[in-house]
Amino acid sequence: MESIEGDAGNFTVTVRERPRYVDMDKCIACGICAERCPRKVKDEYNQGLAKRKAIYVQYPQAVPLKYVIDADHCIYFKKKGRCRACEKYCPADAIDFTQKEKIHKIQVGSVVLSTGFKSFDPSGYDVFGYGSLPNVITSMEFERILSASGPFQGHLQRPSDDKPPQKIAWLQCVGSRDLHAGCHEYCSSVCCMYAIKEAVIAKEHAGGDLDTAIFFMDMRTPGKEFDKYYDRARDEVGVRFIRSRVHSIELAGHGSDDLRIIYMSEDGKLKKEIFNLVVLSTGLEISEDVRKLAQDLGIELDLHGFAKTSSFTPVATSRPGVFACGAFTGPKDIPQSVMEASAASSACAVLLADSRNTLTQEKTYPSEDPIIYEEPRIGVFVCHCGINIGGVVDVPAVRDYAETLPNVVYVADNMFTCSQDTQGLIRDAVKENRLNRVVVAACTPRTHEPLFQETIRDGGLNPYLFEFANIRDQDAWVHQKEPEKATEKAKDLVRMSVAKAALLEPIEPLLLGNRHEAMVVGGGAAGMIAALDLADQGLKTFIVEQKGKLGGNAKYVRKTWKGEDGRAFLADLIGRVQGHKQIEVLLDTKISHVSGFVGNFTTTVTTGSAEQELEHGIIILAVGAKPLKPDEYLYGQNERVMRWHELEELFEKEPERLEQAEAVAFIQCVGSREPERPYCSKFCCTSSLQQAIDFKTRKPDLNIYILYRDIRTYGQREELYRKARELGVIFIRYSLDKKPVVEETSVDGKDKLKITVKDHILGIPLELHVDYLNLATAIIARGEEELAKMLKVPLNEDGFFLEAHMKLRPVDFATDGIFVCGLAHYPKPLEESIVQAKAAAARAASVLIKESVEVEPTVSVVDQEKCIGCGLCEASCPFGAIHLVKVPGRGYRAENISALCKGCGICAAACPQKAIDMKHFRDRQIHAMIEAGGRR
Amino acid sequence: MKAGNIEMNKSFEPKILAFLCNWCAYAGADLAGVSRLQYPPAIRSIRVMCSGRVDPVYIIDGLKSGFDSVFVSG
Amino acid sequence: MELVRYLLDLSGIGRDRVQLRWISAAEGQLFAKYVAEVTNITQELGPFDPKKFRLPLAAVEQTLNSTRIRWLLGLTKQITEQGNVYNEKLKDKDFKKLLQQATEEEYQKALIIEVLKQSPRSVREMAEKTGLPVYTVSLRLNELERCNQAGLKEYSGSTPIFMGM
Repeated sequence: MESIEGDAGNFTVTVRERPRYVDMDKCIACGICAERCPRKVKDEYNQGLAKRKAIYVQYPQAVPLKYVIDADHCIYFKKKGRCRACEKYCPADAIDFTQKEKIHKIQVGSVVLSTGFKSFDPSGYDVFGYGSLPNVITSMEFERILSASGPFQGHLQRPSDDKPPQKIAWLQCVGSRDLHAGCHEYCSSVCCMYAIKEAVIAKEHAGGDLDTAIFFMDMRTPGKEFDKYYDRARDEVGVRFIRSRVHSIELAGHGSDDLRIIYMSEDGKLKKEIFNLVVLSTGLEISEDVRKLAQDLGIELDLHGFAKTSSFTPVATSRPGVFACGAFTGPKDIPQSVMEASAASSACAVLLADSRNTLTQEKTYPSEDPIIYEEPRIGVFVCHCGINIGGVVDVPAVRDYAETLPNVVYVADNMFTCSQDTQGLIRDAVKENRLNRVVVAACTPRTHEPLFQETIRDGGLNPYLFEFANIRDQDAWVHQKEPEKATEKAKDLVRMSVAKAALLEPIEPLLLGNRHEAMVVGGGAAGMIAALDLADQGLKTFIVEQKGKLGGNAKYVRKTWKGEDGRAFLADLIGRVQGHKQIEVLLDTKISHVSGFVGNFTTTVTTGSAEQELEHGIIILAVGAKPLKPDEYLYGQNERVMRWHELEELFEKEPERLEQAEAVAFIQCVGSREPERPYCSKFCCTSSLQQAIDFKTRKPDLNIYILYRDIRTYGQREELYRKARELGVIFIRYSLDKKPVVEETSVDGKDKLKITVKDHILGIPLELHVDYLNLATAIIARGEEELAKMLKVPLNEDGFFLEAHMKLRPVDFATDGIFVCGLAHYPKPLEESIVQAKAAAARAASVLIKESVEVEPTVSVVDQEKCIGCGLCEASCPFGAIHLVKVPGRGYRAENISALCKGCGICAAACPQKAIDMKHFRDRQIHAMIEAGGRR
Repeated sequence: MKAGNIEMNKSFEPKILAFLCNWCAYAGADLAGVSRLQYPPAIRSIRVMCSGRVDPVYIIDGLKSGFDSVFVSG
Repeated sequence: MELVRYLLDLSGIGRDRVQLRWISAAEGQLFAKYVAEVTNITQELGPFDPKKFRLPLAAVEQTLNSTRIRWLLGLTKQITEQGNVYNEKLKDKDFKKLLQQATEEEYQKALIIEVLKQSPRSVREMAEKTGLPVYTVSLRLNELERCNQAGLKEYSGSTPIFMGM
């Protein structure tokens, strides 16, 4: 991108397209060119650990899968017209050396910048020895080493001698949380989690004997389910975690490729340990290119090069109409990036609501020819999934076995069956071999069935002529040590799927009219933001709030960690919501009943004694959470012990209390990260530090103690940690097995609290006398079991709503048309709640703007000849989706209400006449699978 | 596994037919995979939309077809 | 499911050949544990040979498909919770007893039908093949005759020989 001219809603973007020297329409990605190319180049994708050719594809799953010539290394361009090997051998005549650079001018209404990050380059920093010592590598390099498509095909080996390492160390915070020149002050947020993941996977690959150790300062795993992963890595997988400061790395001895790490342990002792491989957990940074681009586009950046955003508009850049998401606005992980991406799309949708659908075209599919379904002709595609399946199951053997099965006329095995080029292969195979049923043996239908259904639809087949054999999630991954048995199981599963496939029938899609209203449950910040984003697109939105006023937990946020005024924001937000024509706020209102389905929900709500029904197309759950009331540390027994915002509120109301105080303490992780609640409440560290800085600034001689387990000021919040230490806030770490003890006492006639805690650095118990103690207690779920049951959406073990996919679908549920955001999903700071609320609005709007929704047509069918109208099906159906209707001359007969039907099949099992069958799960199809599976 | 008896038992590789509900057990089974939890390779699963779909006759069918037992999980 | 297990006991196959477990989408750990558990139980039971149990399997299947059992199962809620027009309800315990009795009778009839499918037989022969007491065979046979599912074929000497219909 060269420039953006114009204003929000009407930009002209200039884009420079570099020549590829390969005709994209002609290239079939056969790879002969790369095979023939004589020029070898370091492969950047594999971090230089492998070579590629001058004509190449960046990585196997690249979209589109087309080759490109690297003109900087190609002999033709370097030696004036020599070589031309690729041109000579290309069977598709796709090489075109005459291509020139092109400039495109694109008219758009808004722009999203998701330029990502660059990994910190540790060369030149003596401490780490990167580049000068053998076997010191970066985490990105290690990631490639572990990868099936990496330089060593996923075999764990070290670079210097290709030997498998016995001991690997990870060094955290390389380039992050480091004030040295060229390093970054901020925390890169993701490194703790990826280091644990790499250590766990490395142990998995090595098969048991590998020793892994992570050298860290604070373990920062504040995300949803992250602490559980950390606990499991430490307690079950046996990853060692060493709280330390690394002093230096040196060669273990003359002629050795091993490395000695010299480090200071927490108690201040200098220690040494030898490892075969050292991985540097390098941080995330913004590249020079992106900084320059931002400058050219007029986007303001912060001190560290990240796009400047406000906590209240976290995806808006300084230039109206230009939005940002992902690591461009700060270091962050996949779920947060995905949420921000959806949030940015919501921001665009609001901006461009008036021009919606003015440029759209409808996708058309080839027509389905019913004649081809007569005789089953099945194609079976077996996936290697890199080494995920191929490393355990003998994939070629499964493929060959499939060929011997009845009705199978075509078989293939693919490295990644889900890759875009394989979709092309499947479509071609369907056409060339007149296939009318397709079986894919791969990961799991729960994530990938829709993709393959779409593919065969593009190939002219009804999407229900597809069957999945789950040989990854339920085979290769769970029988890693029994490859032969896993292969046998894969064969059986393929045989069962083929047996069912032969009996599959085409099923017509079910289209239903769609309502365009939204219902948001919860009137806190998340609920209101989601409602505004929808209402601003012209979509009528109900906010249902249990309490008598809007605001939720946001009212406790006096200031954000960036220093913005939280109360002003909330007042403005409430004002906008109340004044919006498209928003109807229902206070003191409870949900008593929900029926219906995506596009057509009917919800009964009660306000006082009045009941009313709301009709709407989607539901957003923004019900929030609450802080735990602890029963430890004298909370509730001594008024000097408070929690969360109580202390700052006290100091605000009675400033003399702060004036008279000599010392205050904070205890972190009260009720969090304990066996009973094994999760981190994510923003308590930031909150306590903010308050500590505030108090210390107002009263510099106040002693402030923060008793913590790990300080988790992730991302740019690290600035607070530095500032607090500079101001003289005292940090004392405690461990779960030696929690601080709080007692009432008095000093010189003044009431005080005595806190006894063991200091890990000095190794002795400390006694602190403080005037006030503030507890950062766990954020706990509200106990929404009933609501969850009503909506049939799951909660996790901690009572928070469980999304459809932790990383890729962070605001969706498996049930269509219901979304989640804010604290109801997991504890998080205000800015992240806002992002998630906007993401939920984006996902919701994608449903609401449609005229009709397509529902799963895999519903029950009643054989009217066999049905005797007894009504047992109606009585048994949990969804009210089957009922009796009067048929002239025959009495009553059962009839399915397709829109409500979830396809569970309870009615079919209950029918005494066996008159009910399930589409796509027909009796005979299941019988065929059972019979095929049992055969030995 | 020193005792002859136990070894005899363990050496027999049972084949078990499993009916897994798409929303619960099947998802749980996938999660076990994602978490790389290892378990015996005995089951051959059939995905159903709900364990209520499992007609008692299917169980007899499984035993007739040569499975050693049937596991229904919802 | 409980009924299937009851029938499996009745037929000598053993209720443990069917295992039922509840887990949620979030319980991968539990799933792995249950599979190991079910595998162990099956290993303890040893291999199942369907050929040895051909007759009982066929009879169990027939029982489960019988109108009487399917109706009783379908009406469970109505009988135990809603009651009939006179508001008469059966206690869960009594209903269970009723269901088990019906199941046992249907199973015995199914055994007789299966045995008669092979060839016409005398009551004593049927009792031998099915393992049922002679008196029970007579009772069930009587019921089958009334429903036109079995009938007298001929006399062998003074012994009546019955056949399936």
